[in-house]
Amino acid sequence: MSDKSKGLSKAREIYLNRSQRAKELKAAGQTIIGYPCVYVPLEMLTALDLVPYQTCGDIREPVTEADRALPSSFCPVMRNCLDCALKNKNDFLDGMVTIHSCDPQEKTARVWESYTNYPYFHFIDMPITVRPEALEYFRNQLNDFRKTLETFTGRKLSKDKLESAVKFHNRQRALVRELYELTKPSPPQISGTEIIQVLKALTSLPVVEGNDLLTEVISEVKNRTNGLEEKPARLLIWSSTLDDTDIMQVFEAKANVVMNESCGGIRAYRSKVNFTDDPLEGLADYYLKEITCARTFRQATLGETRKDYARDLQSRFGYLKDIIREWKINGAIMLLVRYCDPFAFEMPSLKDYFDSIGVPSTYIEYDYTIGAMAPIRTRIEAFLETIDQ
Amino acid sequence: MYFAGVDIGSTMTKVVLIDESDNLLSTIKGPTGPEHRQLANEVMSQSLEQAALRIDDISCIVATGYGRLNVPFADRQITELSCHSRGVSSLFPKVRTAIDIGGQDAKCMKINNGKLTNFVMNDKCAAGTGRFLEVTAATLGVRLEDMGDIALKATKKIQISNLCTIFAQQEVVGLLSRGENLENIVAGLHDALASRVAALARRLGIEPDLVLTGGVAKNKGMVMAMKESLGCELLVPEEPLLTGALGAAILAKEMYLKALAKGEALPTKPRQLEKATFFSQEKR
Repeated sequence: MSDKSKGLSKAREIYLNRSQRAKELKAAGQTIIGYPCVYVPLEMLTALDLVPYQTCGDIREPVTEADRALPSSFCPVMRNCLDCALKNKNDFLDGMVTIHSCDPQEKTARVWESYTNYPYFHFIDMPITVRPEALEYFRNQLNDFRKTLETFTGRKLSKDKLESAVKFHNRQRALVRELYELTKPSPPQISGTEIIQVLKALTSLPVVEGNDLLTEVISEVKNRTNGLEEKPARLLIWSSTLDDTDIMQVFEAKANVVMNESCGGIRAYRSKVNFTDDPLEGLADYYLKEITCARTFRQATLGETRKDYARDLQSRFGYLKDIIREWKINGAIMLLVRYCDPFAFEMPSLKDYFDSIGVPSTYIEYDYTIGAMAPIRTRIEAFLETIDQ
Repeated sequence: MYFAGVDIGSTMTKVVLIDESDNLLSTIKGPTGPEHRQLANEVMSQSLEQAALRIDDISCIVATGYGRLNVPFADRQITELSCHSRGVSSLFPKVRTAIDIGGQDAKCMKINNGKLTNFVMNDKCAAGTGRFLEVTAATLGVRLEDMGDIALKATKKIQISNLCTIFAQQEVVGLLSRGENLENIVAGLHDALASRVAALARRLGIEPDLVLTGGVAKNKGMVMAMKESLGCELLVPEEPLLTGALGAAILAKEMYLKALAKGEALPTKPRQLEKATFFSQEKR
């Protein structure tokens, strides 16, 4: 049963030792490029045979080294990511691509670049709105990215190669959505904890290997005979980052987490990249519009003078209503990472939206460390007690 | 039939024994402490002794509070938010909002028909909790239980600008060295704590009747400061520490009687008063 070389067991092994495959590939002559955020267009790396590797934090690692460079009242996820880098845990990287997805990413990128010495380092200045001018600006930024990649590799990033990479990554997105189909039954066929293991494994593998892993996992889960335990609640978690199984297990102790709408969950996989004459246009469109992170400013209609709050909420959060209906969700948790301003400011509007569609919700704050789980447990259980009546 | 509620808080452990008519047979309060956290069984024994009952006489036991998982003889764990809501409602049937200020957290609860419907809790830090008064009392060299009376003697309130417990402590040291009067500083501290908790309650929305519970509700200066900050009447139970344990006992009773009436499996288990074990002890 526990064949560690396949499916879920393999995903778990990779999750526990994420950098192993990247190190093997590096030893075999491949070039490994790190990225901290799901906004980096991985297709452009894959198209040039570069292996993308997401540099994650580790909630078990006390932040010490990053304190040399960053204030303590600062995004704990980025502090933790940088800390791991400064402790030489990412030494196998040949390069790093960072992006202006939020201010902590941008500030950390500068520090990261000055404290480390990778042969390649690129920063993408991503705009913050979805207006047409912003799309054009972002496409130009991606063109700059293309140029530095071409200089670094000495190879040309052709349209054919890019389209082929888009196909592989779109396939990955489709497979992740298929994986999430398996949380729709009651009880779900796969737990939120297992999904984190699979998705965090994916972001450490070349896209083709990731797709093979997903295919194995999906087939294994579909043929499962020992189903999961059915819990009294089916939860949606909305967060910036929920990518650790220990935190997820606190939620799953008394509920089934059937949707993780964070960058450790479905966020980067909900849609697909469209093919356009200039492939960069399709990429710019997807990464700017389709990834629903609170860092992006959206409003119902451009240039309106009278604001309709309900319509504004619908345009910003309407996708969650569909998820709630399709996954039969009866409770939503807004999990805030401490000092994450974009999500903290989005929270009151989202709370209003959940109220307007009749979904009980609560918010919980955590600081991306493993300590002090008891207060989180109490808040979750009390919330479950309010909806179980 | 007898029912028990065991509330292991961060600072105090409370046990309430009731019969099926909600008569109080025993109430025990004691410090939780690092040792007592493992000794829910001893507090329970004291309680049984007080009521002249044996453990087998108890039909159902609910454990609550941060230490609720450390009560091996309990039949069920329910959070202190639901238990407080139930306990407060039994004392004040018209309650719609309850504020509980404990040793390590402050919680505001919306209640409907005895049930918790919504809540907010303080952030994971000591600002806005009993610990704020505990730490600053130590800095001022006064006993915690005297803080409220000292505050009531103030002629004015010194503004304390820092709500962080550690920074407030430093601010107090500064005020003392500036020669500010003790009573006025203490009154300022109560005011700071009250305004922090009141802001939390406003986030949830306050509806009367409003009840204040938790150890901090025993402090008269704090009750006064809370009334001023909230600008409304505030009810305080005679024993504000016990509402969680009382609610746990009532929920145990309701669960048990409901199962009995429906002919379902009883929410109870064969038990002995065993000591809680922790991983660290098993390793030793």
